[in-house]
Amino acid sequence: MKILIVEDEKELAADLAKYLAGENYLCEMAITYEQAVEKILVYDYDCILLDIMLPGGSGLQLLDILKQQKKQDGVIIISAKNAIEDKVKGLQIGADDYLAKPFHHSELSARIHSLIRRKQFNSSNIIRQNEITIDLLGKTVKINDIEVSLTKKEFEILLLFTGNKNRVISKAAIAEHISGDIADMFNNHDFVYAHVKNLKRKLTDAGCNNYIRTIYGAGYKWSD
Amino acid sequence: MNSPLLNKPLKAFTIYALIILACSVPVYYLVVDFIWMNELDEHNRIIKENIETGFRNARIDETEMSSLLKNWHKLQPGTILEPAHVFINRPDSLYTIKRLNAGPGDEKIDRFRGLSSAISINGKWYHLQIETNVEETGETMLAITGVTILFFVLLVMGFIVLNKRIAKKIWKPFYNILKKLKSFDLTTHQSISFDETNIEEFEQLNQSLQKLIDKNISVYNQQKTFIENASHELQTPLAVLRSKMNLLLQNKNITREQSEILLAVELPLTRITRINKNLLLLAKIENNQFAEKENVDLTETILETLELLTDYISSKHIVVNKIISEKLTLVCNKTLFEILINNLLINAIIHNTEKGEINIEFSKRILIISNTGNAALHNEKLFERFAVSSTKATSSGLGLAIVKEICNRYEWQIQYAFQNDLHSFTLTF
Repeated sequence: MKILIVEDEKELAADLAKYLAGENYLCEMAITYEQAVEKILVYDYDCILLDIMLPGGSGLQLLDILKQQKKQDGVIIISAKNAIEDKVKGLQIGADDYLAKPFHHSELSARIHSLIRRKQFNSSNIIRQNEITIDLLGKTVKINDIEVSLTKKEFEILLLFTGNKNRVISKAAIAEHISGDIADMFNNHDFVYAHVKNLKRKLTDAGCNNYIRTIYGAGYKWSD
Repeated sequence: MNSPLLNKPLKAFTIYALIILACSVPVYYLVVDFIWMNELDEHNRIIKENIETGFRNARIDETEMSSLLKNWHKLQPGTILEPAHVFINRPDSLYTIKRLNAGPGDEKIDRFRGLSSAISINGKWYHLQIETNVEETGETMLAITGVTILFFVLLVMGFIVLNKRIAKKIWKPFYNILKKLKSFDLTTHQSISFDETNIEEFEQLNQSLQKLIDKNISVYNQQKTFIENASHELQTPLAVLRSKMNLLLQNKNITREQSEILLAVELPLTRITRINKNLLLLAKIENNQFAEKENVDLTETILETLELLTDYISSKHIVVNKIISEKLTLVCNKTLFEILINNLLINAIIHNTEKGEINIEFSKRILIISNTGNAALHNEKLFERFAVSSTKATSSGLGLAIVKEICNRYEWQIQYAFQNDLHSFTLTF
């Protein structure tokens, strides 16, 4: 699956590419507006990560071009501006999601994961992973056809894990994933432990393998 | 106590007039009395001369004279003429006496001015005494005081009326300036222009103020832009830092010790990110970037925010008590209002004790959010940026500054109090 990272900060773009490469995504980078236009016009991407402020133009203009070309690429705006207007405008013009910088890689990866599933399988929205079947729309989880009832937060955490296999996800990243921006006002995210523990128990009780590992001092990891 | 500018000279003028008029009372009295006395002495002398001339022209003999003397009192009341027992040829003497008035029906002590003289009639010496009623000291004094008070009152009334007129006319530009300065608010980015006046001093004042204000606005804007740019510029390096940390965390060969160090770096990094985010937010609020207004339901916002915070509330075992007795729909920016409620509730959680409580009360357009605490905070500095140097690494030092800024925007009142081991913030809409 191909991802285009439009981001003028080379370091950030490279880091993203590195992280996402582990998820079997093929990443390309564009660090100026012109480069981005060139790539967008020539290739199709499953997902475009789009910075708003670019040398040579605005990410919002790129959205317009995509619309004119009737391209189906999924777009996630990654902006440092964190302005509500940008968010609203971007989503109106045709972006699929919005993530304010700085963000956790795991968060971005999970969003890309869901976005691509939504785009690819159109309305079916099913993620299958070994014995686990996740219905994104119905928000249900089945282990070998047995439905597991998860709370909304547990469901969200499961999505975060399946979008970041074999990655260490910090408690802070999980907290932010389920509580949103409010999470970064707190230092103590101990409640994450309880949610992960419950999720783990519910999954194994339903006959699922225990994929979730606790990485001491760092967070959690979903390993196949 | 402060009094209006124009009342200061008025007071001084009034006091001065009072002193001068008070001093004038005895002076008037002395002058009037002096003139009175002189006039009466003159009068008495004329009577004496008349009597002398009368006798000289009438050529009265001895017998007539004695009967005349007997009836003298009836002929010339107020004068006494009697033969001198001893030879006296002395100069006239003047005196003042107080005695019972001899006049019929008017029995009271009066003041008299007298002339005692020796006159010669037909070669014989007589003693002539003329006394004329003079106005009483007290009466004169009373009359003068009365008149003076009357004039004083007239004077003060005149002062007040003139003062008002002058105030209205001459000081009008001054009060205009004052009014404009009062309504001036640096944070609204609106300069003020003063009306032109034809009074030189006011025109100078206008120009100086204009310069001062323009300078202030420009410095304020520079400072604001600086903070805004600085936090903008910080965003990317912060993002890179976090990104690198993230990658490092994924490293398979990382030891437990290293991951603990990483975690320790993560905390201050989160704090910087938070401070930066809040600085940007403050700049945006000041820049009026949240201008759109809509109907916002207070209860709904509070409940939604509480929902978002559930995990943090329950992990600290905090009990939330809600008493929301009425509905309120505010017309304001939804995002700003959410931030306001967020910040207050987040504070109530962070600065709460383990197993403490949060009380949310709303009635009569007054919202009180209180939480368990140990010691009162500095009331006056609480809402300033970075004013509360918190030992808690969580604090950005900006949460309440943002709350205050939002309240200022919509002219809501916010107050802090510490009572019964509860920190409470009272918000009046």
